[in-house]
Formats: sequence, structure tokens, C-alpha cells
Amino acid sequence: MAERILEIIQGPIFSRALAEHLRLSVAALVVAVLIALPLAALVSQSPLGSLLAINISNIGRAVPSLAILALALPFLGLGFRPALLALTLLAIPPILINAAIGLREVPSSVVESARGMGMSGLQILTRIRLPIAAPVIFAGLRTSAVQVVASATLATFIGGGGLGGLIVRGLQRNSPEFQLAGAIPVALLAMATELGFGGLQRALTPKGLRVGSRSRAA
Amino acid sequence: MIGFRNVTKQYAGAARPAVDNFSLEVYDGEITIFVGPSGCGKTTCMKMVNRLIEPSSGEILINGKDNKSLNETELRRGIGYAIQQIGLFPHRTIAENISTVPRLLKWDKKRMRDRADELLELVGLDPDTYRDRYPSELSGGQQQRVGVARALAADPPVMLMDEPFGAVDPIARHRLQQQFLDIQAKVRKTIIFVTHDIDEAILMGDRIAVLKEGGILAQYDKPEKLLTEPNSEFVANFVGADRAIKRLALTCVGDVQLEPVQGDGQQLPHVPEDENLRDVLAAMLAGGTDRVIVLSCEGEVRGTVSEQTLRSLFRAPAAERAASGAVQ
Repeated sequence: MAERILEIIQGPIFSRALAEHLRLSVAALVVAVLIALPLAALVSQSPLGSLLAINISNIGRAVPSLAILALALPFLGLGFRPALLALTLLAIPPILINAAIGLREVPSSVVESARGMGMSGLQILTRIRLPIAAPVIFAGLRTSAVQVVASATLATFIGGGGLGGLIVRGLQRNSPEFQLAGAIPVALLAMATELGFGGLQRALTPKGLRVGSRSRAA
Repeated sequence: MIGFRNVTKQYAGAARPAVDNFSLEVYDGEITIFVGPSGCGKTTCMKMVNRLIEPSSGEILINGKDNKSLNETELRRGIGYAIQQIGLFPHRTIAENISTVPRLLKWDKKRMRDRADELLELVGLDPDTYRDRYPSELSGGQQQRVGVARALAADPPVMLMDEPFGAVDPIARHRLQQQFLDIQAKVRKTIIFVTHDIDEAILMGDRIAVLKEGGILAQYDKPEKLLTEPNSEFVANFVGADRAIKRLALTCVGDVQLEPVQGDGQQLPHVPEDENLRDVLAAMLAGGTDRVIVLSCEGEVRGTVSEQTLRSLFRAPAAERAASGAVQ
């Protein structure tokens, strides 16, 4: 059985499915970041704005991945684009929530002193608020990435391709080898994403903030 | 010179103005204190100088120019700003924090580094130890010093300070206040200093503006005048029933006429000549005597001062006492 699985994994069907899976996940994540970050910067200007964004996103998160995929179907039909749209919608809430909270929780005294010393709004955002909020923003990105990689498995139901295709094929043919050849790589991919983004999160946390959390913990 | 001209700040929906028709002159090279109970508009007044808050009417002149005619960020880069919550940037080192405004003004690297070291030295922090640390590694008092150093970084002629020593314990605060006065003696900035603490106001201020609720200027005078001639019951109450004692704190014992020592005087308490008269009185009370021996900074006996002398000084008119050498 293990041999059969290896054989499938080395074959062209698998490599195409993996490529589709990665393309779909990366594209959804990139589009989500491009939408969620500016939106978070915008809504964090007002307490009401961030409250609204956070709550709407939380409701959005409650909708199951499969339902989002199914909802995209009547509007965009089958294929890559509806799958991308669905996954993007799925990826936005964690990024938006964390970015909005992270930006909002930058101490007001820090922002005020920056303003009082003559930094412009854009300088305060890029030099002060974003770096301080970076660890929280990356935590959101990590959640989002793992979720997208896992959910991209379902894209096959609306013709989006990906590793889910192997699992469906395995179910149709009653072939556990095909099922596992899809399921095991998806699980590994999700775990690798989790670890990779975790490392990125640590690497991109400004040193002063790491020092701070350590001395506070002590 | 900074001039407030009939400045009023009315927030939308508020029953009464936060600052009401406020006018005064802040003189160059002096520390002007805005003091008053909470809600008196003292911080609002200060923040209108660098336009963190815009007045509803009236104008604020900086060297004769209406501050509304100046570019907001450029105006702020030219005015030092230090606040009670300090607001150091947690992701930047101490040296980077201090270099905030120089960096905005695009100084070159070496000049910024030298200036940061110079300022750390000035506020009593060893540059080699502290320049590369992060704010979270410093104590509250050290952070406040860095906050002051950061405000001084680009050598602005004007500084705004909102309870800059408010976040530390009383002993550390007293040391910071003294240290800051020493710094000010060297740098001679034009400073607006906001506090709710009348003792701090009297210690630090060249002039004191007492504000009352609703942003009304109650009295604007030198500390001596404020203590001897409060112009209203509000001011008298605000400066406190112990204002007579506070006046003593304004004069150094070394500046009063001393008498020669009679006999050996060994049993009498000794005080250094830079002690203020309030502490001298305290030494008399603690020693159970009516006379103390005053020592020079080198530890030599300069003479004695009696309780009688303190009493007579107290009756003398303010102007005369000021001429005889009021400190600060």
C-alpha cells in the first residue's frame, strides 16, 4: 500500500494537484493581505470602525469553509476563480481582526508622542504602529494561512483542483491509496505552514518587543 | 516668546469651554508652569501651542507668528515634547528613541549618534550602558530621563512638558526635578511645564499660571508673589494653607545674613549652605534648638542662623527678600 501511495505521489496527477493547491493557497493569501491590511489601517483610525470590522469578521469566520465555496458557485461557476474568491473570503477575517486589534492596541501615549514630535500620519503608521503591531498581525496571517491551506482541499468540489482532487478520486474509486496520497500531503502542508509562519512571526517581532515580553514574564 | 491671545477652546457638545479667553506671555528662557486642579484646561492650553489641539478662537503667537500659519509637522519638530506617559517607542533602542526628531530632520548618522550620547550624559545615564538598550529594560525614572533627552534632541528653543516626572516615586521625582533645573540652567529653554502639583510648580517655575476649572486663568505671577499675594480665595486655597512654609523653600540659607558663631556651638545642628529655609526650620525643630550652624559646601563653618532671623525675613516685603537672593 505504501508503495502504491509513493507511486501516486511520484506521478503527474499528484504534482499537478500539488501545484494547483499551492497556487490557490498563495494567491488567496496574497489577495487577502492586500485587502485586509489597508482595511485594518483604515478602520483602526476610529474605535467604532475597528469594532465593526472585528465583529463583522468574527461573524464571517463562523461560516463554514464548504458553505463559502458552495456560495461562490452560483455566481462564478466552476473553476479556479470562484475557488480563489471563496478562499480569499475565508482568509480575510483572521488577518483583518488581528491587524485591527494590533494597530488599535499600540499605546496611545506612543502615538501621541510620535505626533507631538512631528511625525506625519503615514510615518506614524509605517514606523511606529505597524512594527509594534507586527507580532499580532503575523499571528493572524499564520491562522489564515493554515486555514487556507487546509480549506483549499475542498476547492475540488467547485472545480478548483488541488490535493482534494486525489481524495475525491480515492473515494470514487474506493481506493484508500489515492485518499491517503491526498490527505497526508495536505496534513503535512498545513503543519509546515504553521511552523513556517511561526518562525516568520518570531523573526519579524522587533527586538525591543521581545526583550519586553521576556522581562515582563520574569 | 510665546503669546496666548484670547484663546478659547470649546468642544462640541460641552456645556462650557475647556479653555476660556486665555491670554498670557511666556518669556524666553523661563520655565512657565501651568498648574491647576484636574479639568482646568492646563494640558489643553499646552497642546494648542504645537497644534495637537486647535483653538476654537483666539491665536497663539510664537516669536510673533500665528502658529496656524506654520506647517503642523515642521512646527512640532521645532518644539520639544515630553509627556507623563513618556511614550517611548518600545521597538526602538534608547539611542534611536532620542534620535527621533533628528532623524525626521535628516541629520547624518554620526551627528545623531554624538547627540544621543551627549544627551544621555546630560540626563545622567551612561551612554555605553544605555544607548543600545530597549525602553522595557529601563526603570520608570530612567525612561522619564530618556523622554526628556528625546525632547531636547534637536535642541528646540521651546519645550512643552506635561507632568514629565509624574510617573515616578516622590524621591526619584525630586531628584529628577533638581537635575532638570541644573540642565535648564545650562540650556535656557523656553518651557511650558504642566503639573497639578503646586509644590512642583513652586520648585520648578520662574512664573506660574494658576488655572481654575473651566480653563480660566486665575493668577499669573512669579512664585514668590503667588505665595505672598494670592489674588483670590481660589488661589490662596490652591497654593495651600501651608504657603508660608512653602515660601521658606524658595530661599537658600546661604543667601541670608548669617551671624557669627558664639561659644563653641557644637551641640547645634549643622546644615549645608545650599539647604532651603524650610529644611533649616525642620532641622531646628528636630534638634529642639532655635539656632543652626551653616556650613559651606567645603564643610567649613560659615556662621549661624536663628529662628528669630527666619521670622524677621518672613515679615520683610517680598521684593526685598527676592533681592536678598531667592533661589531659582
